[in-house]
Amino acid sequence: MAISLAESLSVGLADILTRKVRSAVTVIGIILGVMSIMVVLAIVNGMNKSTLEWMGERGGLSKIEVHQNWAYDFSKGGDASFDLREINYIRQQVPEAAAFNPQTQLNPREMQYGELGYTCSLLGVFPDMVKVEDWPVKTGRFINQLDIDNHNNVVVLGSTTATELFSSRSPLGQYVTYTGNRLLVVGVMEPKFLQNQGGGESFGGENALEYMNQRAFVPLSTLLSKIDPNQRINSLSLQAADPESAKQLRRKVEDIVLDLKRGKRLFMVDSAQEQMEQMKRNSQIFSTIFVLIAVISLLVGGIVIMNIMLASVKERTREIGVRIAVGARRRDVFLQFLVQTVLITGLGGVLGIILGYGVLGGVGKYLKLQVIASAQMIWVALLVSVGVGLLFGTLPALRASTLDPVEALREE
Amino acid sequence: MALWINEWKIMTEIIRTANLVKDYSLGKVKVRALNGVDLTIGEGEFVAIMGPSGSGKSTLMHIIGCLDTPTSGEYHLDGVLVSEMEKNQLAMVRNRKIGFVFQSFNLLPHLNVLKNVELPLMYAGAGQKERNLKARQIIDSVGLSERLRHKPAELSGGQRQRVAIARAIVNDPAILLADEPTGNLDSQAGGDILEIFSRLHSEGNTVIIVTHDKAVANRAGRIIRIMDGRIENGDIAG
Repeated sequence: MAISLAESLSVGLADILTRKVRSAVTVIGIILGVMSIMVVLAIVNGMNKSTLEWMGERGGLSKIEVHQNWAYDFSKGGDASFDLREINYIRQQVPEAAAFNPQTQLNPREMQYGELGYTCSLLGVFPDMVKVEDWPVKTGRFINQLDIDNHNNVVVLGSTTATELFSSRSPLGQYVTYTGNRLLVVGVMEPKFLQNQGGGESFGGENALEYMNQRAFVPLSTLLSKIDPNQRINSLSLQAADPESAKQLRRKVEDIVLDLKRGKRLFMVDSAQEQMEQMKRNSQIFSTIFVLIAVISLLVGGIVIMNIMLASVKERTREIGVRIAVGARRRDVFLQFLVQTVLITGLGGVLGIILGYGVLGGVGKYLKLQVIASAQMIWVALLVSVGVGLLFGTLPALRASTLDPVEALREE
Repeated sequence: MALWINEWKIMTEIIRTANLVKDYSLGKVKVRALNGVDLTIGEGEFVAIMGPSGSGKSTLMHIIGCLDTPTSGEYHLDGVLVSEMEKNQLAMVRNRKIGFVFQSFNLLPHLNVLKNVELPLMYAGAGQKERNLKARQIIDSVGLSERLRHKPAELSGGQRQRVAIARAIVNDPAILLADEPTGNLDSQAGGDILEIFSRLHSEGNTVIIVTHDKAVANRAGRIIRIMDGRIENGDIAG
């Protein structure tokens, strides 16, 4: 007896097609709402992935970094640096650390090879730097324990530094001069590369990690004893056995450093794992807020649709009366209007997804952001738009289906 | 129950009402639109219901057409007590047993002739093929097979009313219920429409026309006059 859902669909579709302009206007709010949900989720997805890639390139999630606490008030006294004795003490306290690399960095000065010169940063490091930064040498070798123990005058070049001074020739076995010190080149690092995200040309062109390639590395002991005796160690990186134990190790290192500096919070100790977790929480808050805003725009769209459908019911009162007179049941009338609303919002959802893809393409291109749209997002967007139709279509459909046929037929 | 019209003819009753009462409340005032209507109409009869406005004839028509329910009293349609039915059942009765023809045609403006006539078949649950076939036949019988794809606005008043009649009879109803069917037509078109009703009657259909036009009423085999919510005469067939 009842008309089928397929019948309601075709009646609803016919209604939409005879009222094209109205349906199109009705649907705009939904299109925009669905589009913004998609764009926001895709950007957040992309940013999370980019940050993880960055962390991966910078030594992974097991990395712990000790660096100066910028929030510390240095007028209270204290110096955010270590000497070698303190470093050796810390190393003894954390035998579980898989890698341990204190380092100090000189202000950029010219490195010379024959006639050529190239301004680069010189860093004094431990052999573990390759582990902590997850950064292998390309040719030659890295600084070893013997170099540290003997304060050897050896240097390992970043890839850009090597190219600038030696172009295509091998720098291995050559001597360079840095502030009057002759240093034997024993190795060249692999180039570091990370696609720039959102930064444009401002730093290092397309490579966000180019600054690392412009460095050169000497044994920490050599730097402190021969190159610049006034220099002190201002940062320390460790590698835990795995990301989970990194959290404990971070707390332990924090306690050791605090104890060493007599309770002064001169240093910050960060673990990549915890930073990543914090970032995830932040991005979750960020995406929740934006999705909430998008949902509000969907609700506004839904209210607009409800209004238009209510007006439509009013306008079509007589038609509804006729349908009831020829045998439409309340359910048939209800379904006709509900299906029509859901078709409109569903259509809006589909258009919103298509538009969202277009916008994402533009955003990715112009802002140089990584954006990731997933199939799951499409389902969410579609479900939400159909849900809005069901939610806001119910009242108009209910009003249509409860009309008194006698009154409805009298309506002009 | 059969009733005797005269000595030779036995008629099955299609409509029987007993003490129909309908009250409306207009604000705090209660209005009695029908005040105990006893009415019997036999199968195959052509009946006119006449009465001035406010007499209750519209209310009676709505109750007979199952668009409204009586406050009290009984209404049997085709042997079934419909006054006790609930809304969904009434929808089915309207769909299967009653064909409405209105003064203002009441065609759906955005549907073409074919789709308008198919409407009752759709609500009856007929398949697309069956609908199409039946609707075409009926439209042919009212002489509009050339106008299948036309919208109501593209038709004359007489043609529109013929579409409405086609829609009313497409489900082969027990009664054809017409409310001032010639009220919006010129005398020529009105005459044509009445001819169709006469023909449908002669083919065995039960036709009930509500009108205040004497000329229209005179076409009917029997005139039921209603006044102040009561039937004045003609309440029994014959």
